[in-house]
Amino acid sequence: MLLFSDNLWYYKCMNKMISVQDITSAYGRRPVLKGASFTAERGECIGIVGANGCGKSTLLSILAGTLKPKSGEVRYYGQAAWSGPQMRCSKEVIRKMTGYVPQENPLIPELTVYDNLRLWYPDSGRLKQELEEGFLHLLGVQEFVTKQASKLSGGMKKRVSIGIAMSGMPPVLLMDEPSAALDLICKEDIRNYLEVYLQRKGTVVITTHEESELELCHKLYVMKDGRLQQIDRALRGADLVKMF
Amino acid sequence: MMRILPRMLLQAILLMVLIGTIAFCGVKSMEKEPLAVGVDIAVVVREDNAVTQMAIGFVENMESVSEFCTFRQVSEEEGFSLLGEGEVAALILLPEQLVEGIMNGENPAVEIYFAKQAGLEAMLFKELTDAGAGLLNVAQAEIYGAGDTAAAYGFTDKLSVMEMEIDSYNLAFALDRLALYETEQLSVTGQMSVLQYFAASAAVLFLLLFGMALYPVMQPEPAVFRKQLSREGVGFLWQDFCQWLCGLLSVGLMSILLLPAVRLAKVWMAHSGQETELFRSVQDAKQMTETVVLILLGMVLVSTFIYCLYSLAGSRISGILMLFVVSLMMIYLSGGLVPSVFLPEMMQKIGGRLPTGYLIRAAGSIFVGYRSQTVRDCVSGMCLYTVLLGGLACLCRRRYVR
Repeated sequence: MLLFSDNLWYYKCMNKMISVQDITSAYGRRPVLKGASFTAERGECIGIVGANGCGKSTLLSILAGTLKPKSGEVRYYGQAAWSGPQMRCSKEVIRKMTGYVPQENPLIPELTVYDNLRLWYPDSGRLKQELEEGFLHLLGVQEFVTKQASKLSGGMKKRVSIGIAMSGMPPVLLMDEPSAALDLICKEDIRNYLEVYLQRKGTVVITTHEESELELCHKLYVMKDGRLQQIDRALRGADLVKMF
Repeated sequence: MMRILPRMLLQAILLMVLIGTIAFCGVKSMEKEPLAVGVDIAVVVREDNAVTQMAIGFVENMESVSEFCTFRQVSEEEGFSLLGEGEVAALILLPEQLVEGIMNGENPAVEIYFAKQAGLEAMLFKELTDAGAGLLNVAQAEIYGAGDTAAAYGFTDKLSVMEMEIDSYNLAFALDRLALYETEQLSVTGQMSVLQYFAASAAVLFLLLFGMALYPVMQPEPAVFRKQLSREGVGFLWQDFCQWLCGLLSVGLMSILLLPAVRLAKVWMAHSGQETELFRSVQDAKQMTETVVLILLGMVLVSTFIYCLYSLAGSRISGILMLFVVSLMMIYLSGGLVPSVFLPEMMQKIGGRLPTGYLIRAAGSIFVGYRSQTVRDCVSGMCLYTVLLGGLACLCRRRYVR
């Protein structure tokens, strides 16, 4: 099973996969991020927790290139994604390096699952291969590939969303609360998939409140007052909530 | 797209049948109920005698006059009052010694007053009086000419016989002939026939309402989907353009459906014995260019209009509802359901400047071939609306992404 694009040879040469330095962002006059920083290495899973509206999704949107930060720097494998005083964005770096699973699902409801996937997989041969024996098979997408997207359950939609995020075989997966409102089986499937992805030296940045996903995290950060603070990864339940 | 297309095609055919039926009913109702124009005329006879009454009775019973006019003999005061209230279209004041004056060549003037708001009735009556005066002039010229000739050749004793001959010929061949009047064709549908008018309106209405079936193509995509596309290097403007282009192609495809519909209508008309020309024949390259430009611009404006309404509405259901209501309202204001001459003047002015007004005129121009000025007006109006609506749609879509 192929998870990353082989032609990105430098994945194997450098260890520091993600470097985020002093990212600031604001909605109008309200500051959301006030200097968030962290780093991640190959095969690491970074967990970000925090209260609702604290800026977790904003940070992930910046990492995914869909939101412009006010200042700071983001690098993937040493290549600048957001940098400079004008906050220039290298879409090419972001597109090659990251797959983004947002909270909402980027599906066109009128189309079938297969047609939705075809939008993101220019090579139909590769799509078929992924459905038969690749990561889409691992996610169980082949079981409902002919269904119309509007008729899918939340769990099915999320699996397809992950499939879309993985279409470019990126080495970094950014996931914004992937298990929210999903049933236990679906949560387990997604967790299993993440395990395989991490074993293959993929890097994951995940915002979550799910204990099963927190267990996968090598580093855990809490977002508080617009800053990231690393905490003990073993913290759970009330102890974890106290940190918010 | 290929999966959505058959459904869209089916919806388009259903819509076409529905609008075609409405247009057909419109044409039939206009044909069945011709505009009945009755002209009420007040007559003031200043000298009431048997000869004058006979003359009035004669004019009143003439075939050409009795078809349109009803005469009422009133006093002068009452006549002006009726004219002021709009009860009569015209007031005729007959002078004293009218018949005698005609006979002896003095020709006393008959005063005719028209009501300001009488419009069509006054126009019709003026036509009648002009024609009547023309006939009287000819008759008098004939009689005077005959009198002078008789005097010159010395057989004045035969003059009364000659005058009777002239009178009988005039009565037999001139006075009861409607064909002698000047004719001016007035139509509520302008240069177009009723069939052409409703065909043009129905075509525009069909294309606008077809936008309801275009929601899979035209509705704003979810913000998250657009952002993902943007991550893949497809910018928001390019996304907007592609979606609009997809809508334009769909509108173009559905426009082709109109051709077999027109063909079917012609076959049906021929079968039911109504041979009506729907399209003018294109005479030269200039007309061909005008037709092609109008068709293309019309499709561009229709797709931009649909795209803009979906952008303003923001969602599928509200987009469909908005499109239905706004299209019908604009078509009505532009005179697509009821010819605009029946609407108040203010509505006529507004309707003519709406996108639907330009579209109906453009469609009409394709049918009958308007003057270049009208075509230029249509082209500039459609271009302006395309730019305005397109810009508005882009702004709205950008707002959803934020």
